Amino acid sequence: MDFSVLTDQFASLTFDGIALGFIYVLIALGYTMVYGVLRLINFANSEVFMLGSFATILVATKLFNHTIESDPLTGFKLVYTMTAMLVGAMIVSGVASVVIEIVAYRRLRSRTSNRLTSLISAIGVSIVLAEAVRMATSSAPMGSPRLLDKTTLATVWGADIRVDTLLVIVFAIILLIVLDLFVNKSRLGMGIRAVSMDYDTSRLMGINLNKIISTTFLIGGLGTGAASFFYITVYEMTRFSIGFELGLAAFTAAVLGGIGNIRGAFAGGIALGLIEMYASAVLGTQWRSITAFVILILVLLFKPNGIFGESLQQARV
Amino acid sequence: MSFNLRDAGATLWANSNKWQRYLIAGVIIVGAFALPLLEGTFLNTPRTPFVSVLFYPIGVYVLMALGLNVVVGKSGLLDLGYVAFYAVGAYTAGILSMHTKLNTWEILPVGIALAMLSGFVLGAAVLRLRGDYLAIVTLGFGEIIRITALNSSAVGGANGISNIPNPPTTFGFAFDLESDRNYYWVVLILIIITILIIRGLSARRPGRAWESIRQDEDVAELMGVNTYKYKLWAFVFGASVGGAAGVLFASKAMFIAPNIFNYNISILILAFVVFGGMGNIWGVVFGAVLLSYIPERIRFISEARMLIFGLVLIIMMNLRPDGLLPRKKREKIGIAGGEIK
Amino acid sequence: MNKKIKASAAIVAALALSLGAFAANTASAATTVKIAYQGPLTGPEAQTGTDSIRGVKLAIKIYNATNPAVKVEIFEGDDQGDDAQGGTVGAGIAADDAVIGVLTAYSGPTIAALPSYKAKGIAIVSPSATRASLTDPTSKDYGNPVFHRIVSNDDLQGPALARVATNGVKDPTVFVVDDQSSYSVGLTKAVKLALGTAFQAGDSAAKGAVSDFSATIAKIKKEKANVVIYTGYYADGAKFLKQLRDKGYKGVYAAGDGVLNSQFPKLAGKKQSEGARLTAPTVPLEVASPKITAMFKKDFKADPGVYTTEAFDATNIFLQGIKAGKTTRADMLAYLNSASFSYKNTAGITIKFQESGDLSGSGLMNQFVVKGGTIKLNGKA
Repeated sequence: MDFSVLTDQFASLTFDGIALGFIYVLIALGYTMVYGVLRLINFANSEVFMLGSFATILVATKLFNHTIESDPLTGFKLVYTMTAMLVGAMIVSGVASVVIEIVAYRRLRSRTSNRLTSLISAIGVSIVLAEAVRMATSSAPMGSPRLLDKTTLATVWGADIRVDTLLVIVFAIILLIVLDLFVNKSRLGMGIRAVSMDYDTSRLMGINLNKIISTTFLIGGLGTGAASFFYITVYEMTRFSIGFELGLAAFTAAVLGGIGNIRGAFAGGIALGLIEMYASAVLGTQWRSITAFVILILVLLFKPNGIFGESLQQARV
Repeated sequence: MSFNLRDAGATLWANSNKWQRYLIAGVIIVGAFALPLLEGTFLNTPRTPFVSVLFYPIGVYVLMALGLNVVVGKSGLLDLGYVAFYAVGAYTAGILSMHTKLNTWEILPVGIALAMLSGFVLGAAVLRLRGDYLAIVTLGFGEIIRITALNSSAVGGANGISNIPNPPTTFGFAFDLESDRNYYWVVLILIIITILIIRGLSARRPGRAWESIRQDEDVAELMGVNTYKYKLWAFVFGASVGGAAGVLFASKAMFIAPNIFNYNISILILAFVVFGGMGNIWGVVFGAVLLSYIPERIRFISEARMLIFGLVLIIMMNLRPDGLLPRKKREKIGIAGGEIK
Repeated sequence: MNKKIKASAAIVAALALSLGAFAANTASAATTVKIAYQGPLTGPEAQTGTDSIRGVKLAIKIYNATNPAVKVEIFEGDDQGDDAQGGTVGAGIAADDAVIGVLTAYSGPTIAALPSYKAKGIAIVSPSATRASLTDPTSKDYGNPVFHRIVSNDDLQGPALARVATNGVKDPTVFVVDDQSSYSVGLTKAVKLALGTAFQAGDSAAKGAVSDFSATIAKIKKEKANVVIYTGYYADGAKFLKQLRDKGYKGVYAAGDGVLNSQFPKLAGKKQSEGARLTAPTVPLEVASPKITAMFKKDFKADPGVYTTEAFDATNIFLQGIKAGKTTRADMLAYLNSASFSYKNTAGITIKFQESGDLSGSGLMNQFVVKGGTIKLNGKA
């Protein structure tokens, strides 16, 4: 146990933890929204993330012909290239998420009451996607060109505020606000909230379930795609297996914050990012996952529905 | 609707008298023991010896599937970290072999006891959680066990524990490298014992309690069932079976390391249970046999092996969403999104 | 419902059977022998296996093209880097009588499979199993007489890495990061021993599980380390180095042969990887033989990987024996264990085996430095 690192580098660790946390938040949205509506753990979301990360890099390398050794861009070129990468990732992830719903879940919704069947089907999809990408990449990692130069904008209390991590935080907050507005103010959003509150009554009230559910998966996929774009911007590397690492963390974050709940995804993601960072610093990186799980268990013992969770009867998106 | 295999089987059993039942059971058991004879046929597994495969992965995984079936299938508790108990059993065998002179048969009860203890501890902590929260927490527990083993040099860390001794020659049956068949028969005996215990429990109060918990926990609680106590029972029993499987596995493999006990095994065993038809012993056995056999059988497609396995999962779930041998109709009462038939 | 069960079962069975019909499990004639590769061909470690097995396939292809009397086939044993599967796959390889030699990839699955190989007397030449216990007569894992390896064990590379990393550094304060793989843990132990008091602190970041090294880097800053040694593999090593430099670390970065891969400088970034120091008991295929590298790239449309050269050499050792008429297991094993055995590897160095199975002789450790985005040989370590 080494607390000296924590005190010595506190600001740095906190800032990095928050930035990492926001990536978790965006992925957690994919889990939490689907859970809110279908009470289903969308296991395949981790591969949706992985696909988005590859899409981000491929847009840069195939569409814009950059290579991993390209120099950073500036100005307008930078903006439109990065926007294209973000859009590409979101489209790929969004589409993947919707397709997965149709392939793995939709038929099962009406044919069985056993939720685990959908779970296993989702896991099958996860395996297929991960293996397909593994074979396509020969298990090798894929690096991304550094298009956004990681300049340090300012140093606050010893923490370097870098442009890429700041970008993640700012955009994630914007995305969350947009999503929150959508869910609370739009008609479709109202439909989503209705279905998550009471599935059967919503059906009886004439809500088009397929449309609502597809929209939910789409939004979850878009958020996950955005997360993958930010992930690549900061870490500049991906491989076929990152789905599990980040998927599990994001899902833990979603449950920690209270699943089925956007505020919960936000709280859980940031909390998890900070927990992992502090635990790594104090106990060693090899203990960070265990710390996260132990904290999760402790939180659930006292708040069985997560930090912001409401009881299952009233869980809302 | 038309023919339901499970119902047909159940009716056949119900309509048989005592002697006919013994005959059926006898035929099945003898058939199972005789499986190694199929080695030379088209069922043979390329790249890995058939009888060895019968023990691991098939036999060991069937045993674990039976254990998890009680937790998930019968009681409806979503356990995504079942590999933890397997690991506890295996590491018990490893640690005891490092520091004591106990042989496998003596280690087996210790391994089972420790696995039950860990099941009890985990269950006591988390069984008050509902459905999917239980899932993530149990998943976390599985990872905690694995990572702790990885981080602890006392149990070998990343290198694991090697040279775990084989079981000693018992009743004339050797357990060395050439005796794949004897290992298989031992795991088969354990499977039979487990099935008998499960059937015994299912017919009595625990079984009925589990069924009521699975269908609707709130109603069960209201009707006076001590749900917490029976959930814990299910958990502990499932853990004991997992621990037994772990001890057996370690004694044959002679070598264990943390990377063996990963999350994928938990998912795999869960897939067996769901695929086979939750709660149904024969479905689970059949499902486990099929799904652990297929990846070994298709080793010649080496590269795409896991991809095909994933496809099999998706296709089978969509073709047979209630499992290979689904429940009888009157038990199919839906929760969210289902219908009352 | 019954129809559906029958239909699905029939489809699965038909598929398995028809595909199985193409699975020839036995050697066609006495004039064909097999060399087996036991390693991760699928799963998260598949890259190591893929890179290595390509070296094996290329060597066999070159050999078969000379139209020899005894043709060679490859037996692909996929253990996914998993110790449990290593045991079963090893048993399967040992059961195939046509196999007269095997290359094993990771130490764990090698140890798991050793009983089978020892029982059947099959010679092992491993291109990548580095655990010291395999060649330690006092260890339970001792692989004698079957186990040989042409990769240097940790006890040799550790001191070399420590030397290379601290070379030219005044008052070195060393921070060591491992990836909790058994290769890395073994190397770390040897490195720490060799560093003595220069070792300051360390961290472990599980392989493939960590994207963000900020906490590790925070520790490095707090300890004011001027030398960082990474003992894992190139993907995480590159990721780590990139973040390390981006966060302003100006000291030395050194790593072992797990990082020796042409992708490393690219993934780490040209600027960030400048000056990184590596040790390895081998030479990259590109440096050792441009001609063979060209063949490799043409055949596989990919670059050689981490242990490709070693796998190529290991296979050629067996092929050398086959050319000399050793076509049974016993003959091959005796050949490798004989005192007169020697082999000239792709880098032109003549190697021999000690009785323990390790390479004999010194001067087998090279050091490299990354300059301008490429890894350059920098002499002996």
